[in-house]
Amino acid sequence: MNTDRRAFMVTAGVLAGGMALAVRPANAAGAPAPWGPDGPIGNELTPWIEIAADSTVTIRVPQPESGNGTMTQIAMNVAEELHCAWSDIRVVNASVQRDYVEKNVYTHGMLPFFSGHATDRKRMDFTMRLGAAARERLKLAAAARWGVPAAQITAKDSVLSHAASGRALRFGEVAAEAAKVGMLAEPELKPEAEWTLIGKKAPPKLFLPAVANGSAVFGIDVKLPGMVHAALLQVPVMGGRLKSHQPEAVLKMPGVRAVVVIDPAKSRRTALKDQTSFGLSNVTEAQHAVAVIADHYWQAKMALEALPVEWDMGEGGKVSSHEAIYNAMRTVRDAGAGKAVVTKGDVAAAKGKRTFEAEYSTPYADNAVMEPLNGTARVTADGCELWCPTQDSRQAYWVAIDETGLPPEKVTVHNTLVGGNFGRRTQAEDLRMVVAIARQFPGVPVKTIWTREEMFRQGRYRTPISTRFKAVLDDATGLPEAVSGDLCFAGDRPLFQLTQGYGDAPYFNTGAIPNVRLTTIAHPVHVLNGAYRAPCLNSNAFITETFIDECAHLAGSDPLEYRLKLLASWEKPWSDTLRLVAEKSGWGVKLPKGEGLGIAITNWPVATMRNFGSTMAIAARVSVSKAGELKVSRIDVAFDCGRIANEDAVRNQIEGGILFGLNMTLNEEMTIKDGAMVEGNYDEYPMLRMGDALPDVHIHLGALSGHNRFDLIGELPACPIGPAVGNAIYSATGKRLRTTPFRKQDLSWT
Amino acid sequence: MAAVNFKVNGTAHSVDADPSTPLLWVLRDHLGLTGTKYGCGVAQCGACTVHLNGEAVRSCQLPLDGLAGAEVVTIEGLAARGGETLQRLWAELNVPQCGYCQAGMLMAASGLLKKTPKPSDADIDAAMTNICRCGTYGRIRAAIKRAAGIAA
Repeated sequence: MNTDRRAFMVTAGVLAGGMALAVRPANAAGAPAPWGPDGPIGNELTPWIEIAADSTVTIRVPQPESGNGTMTQIAMNVAEELHCAWSDIRVVNASVQRDYVEKNVYTHGMLPFFSGHATDRKRMDFTMRLGAAARERLKLAAAARWGVPAAQITAKDSVLSHAASGRALRFGEVAAEAAKVGMLAEPELKPEAEWTLIGKKAPPKLFLPAVANGSAVFGIDVKLPGMVHAALLQVPVMGGRLKSHQPEAVLKMPGVRAVVVIDPAKSRRTALKDQTSFGLSNVTEAQHAVAVIADHYWQAKMALEALPVEWDMGEGGKVSSHEAIYNAMRTVRDAGAGKAVVTKGDVAAAKGKRTFEAEYSTPYADNAVMEPLNGTARVTADGCELWCPTQDSRQAYWVAIDETGLPPEKVTVHNTLVGGNFGRRTQAEDLRMVVAIARQFPGVPVKTIWTREEMFRQGRYRTPISTRFKAVLDDATGLPEAVSGDLCFAGDRPLFQLTQGYGDAPYFNTGAIPNVRLTTIAHPVHVLNGAYRAPCLNSNAFITETFIDECAHLAGSDPLEYRLKLLASWEKPWSDTLRLVAEKSGWGVKLPKGEGLGIAITNWPVATMRNFGSTMAIAARVSVSKAGELKVSRIDVAFDCGRIANEDAVRNQIEGGILFGLNMTLNEEMTIKDGAMVEGNYDEYPMLRMGDALPDVHIHLGALSGHNRFDLIGELPACPIGPAVGNAIYSATGKRLRTTPFRKQDLSWT
Repeated sequence: MAAVNFKVNGTAHSVDADPSTPLLWVLRDHLGLTGTKYGCGVAQCGACTVHLNGEAVRSCQLPLDGLAGAEVVTIEGLAARGGETLQRLWAELNVPQCGYCQAGMLMAASGLLKKTPKPSDADIDAAMTNICRCGTYGRIRAAIKRAAGIAA
């Protein structure tokens, strides 16, 4: 504590907390901070909270906002204890550079700079404590001014009141004094019974008025004095190189300033140990590329289109098609060299007479975020400033450090709003490209924007998966006596080869199936993988839940009852969610041919841990015409994420996630020709639209366990929807779909 | 190149740029109106929707040399031209997720309501052809109906 400032004794109402809060007396003098506009400008009670004289409460949030409401949720956590008026709050992005310089002031909880996880247990607790600490300091400051005990002061809606004397002050009137208050011990959190926001109110996201009036600033909207624009063309086949180009052919075109070449080998690299979530491995590497820099983006784009360029497509150019990759995956998968991820009993010892074997697969898909990748950087010999939409600010920061070779103190990241992530902006290889271009045109801000075609053809794609499952059914029960699975991932990046929905499925781990052997292996491909909403679970949930459905039908069992039997010994929310969607969807009613109900269930991020992550069951109602026209008419959803902090935010994620997963299942596939990605825009990569007879989505809260956690809900909904729809199509038509997208398959029946 | 004169949100502008420059990039780069978004460049996604002489159109398909005398309204000018209710409902009903496509959605929705004050679901389907990757379609429909005074 600062001893040269007036310190107040802790009142009786403030109990010893013992938390290592980052609360400290503020630098009220407001010395200019190196992070510039993100730095403290007023009465800062902690690096997270600043209260202005007009009572505006600024909350600095380390996690970028990308539509999941993460910044609004952090504000709810703080406000629950701070007792400010909701309308007084503004949220801004915390500076990752400041976190480095001030030694982890924003590093709290899981993935501290990753968009999301605002209700992560540690982070929620910490941010609520920040609010409580600020509130008590405001009370102490008011108490000192009025000469009354702080315990007699109440704080509500940004007003401090002393009932006995009828006095009242707005927070802002004592914020400057509160910022200087030292406390010997931090206050405890109030009892949950007194919560008025968390679980009680569901405020819309704070940035929405700015979105609705066009003033919201996404990365692509950054405007800076002297800024120039870059258009980018990367080698069409990943891993290829630039052979030749003729910049002189375009340098005289209007507005053109420069033509630059990006060679990944020329990154300067940092010698420091990075602090990133995902590391600075090859996942952060840029591809070989050329870029044209011009006064305006359209000029840069036109000049780039006119630029003669020859590429050496490299080894990847020899890969004839996606089918060639998928065939190679089958061969690798079936060669018996996979690594065992689950081994129980002895699959060879199973004696049942009914056996079943099938192959399931999922294709390449692109995140297709609406805001194209972009970023603006100004690089000088002495520093780098980066304005960007990112899914992880610390990853962006360290990639900029790595690309420039500058010390971390000299690199600044300014976050903007993010026009969609779904995993695409996690590794910051895009921002390495932005910085690599800008440092070849130093001294002025250079904004680089990917065209939609570059977006689709230079993705970091969903990992394709190919799995062969074999089952032996128990003669008496019809349940699997043995299951063997062999899974092959496409790609060479272990970061994106996850077994969620496969190796961690409760069916295979609880003893319900006595003999299990599951393996995984990877088939390296030049096409690069990345994170795509619920990485790999988005494939594995489809594969496993389709396979289990097939086992049920082979056993002559109802698919719901079959799952309930398999999950009988597992935690209750799995059965509860299944039963609830069955009840709400009218499960069990006989439907005419051409109509069907399907069911599926899964969990993110780890199904085999009790009271962990979120579990979701979906029942899908479909109709399929004889000609094969599919209509998904109704979706029933039940889930358990423990508890809910903001019900509308959770509904929002579920509604959107279901459409995301439905589109993935019905429509999405990136194909490959001679090593290059084929689809270049939305006309070739269809997206569901409002006119596509979208299903009525019914979200049911009745299966929430109430377990004391507010768990993840963003990734999960994209995963059980596909198998539920596929299983419904089987029920309607007798056609079993073992791969996606469904739009490329014949669903007709007679 | 000769300057092209047209109005944006009631203000007269004279822009001297390559005649092929789409209105989208004229608005964003030359006039600093970045509320109108680039999404695809081929009239697929609708993120760049503005009103041209009262019609909701994809601004990525309108070259500068066709704009002489045009009256353009963008998201920045919508509130003053009857869009305020929609904009308020968009926030109240927590319609956007990431928000990137929503300026285009609002321009399309306000264009619809101007012509068809009480739209049917089929009217909404026909007018709202924009893409939203976050999947906010259900809430967009609800907000349009609320603005039109139609029970959802």
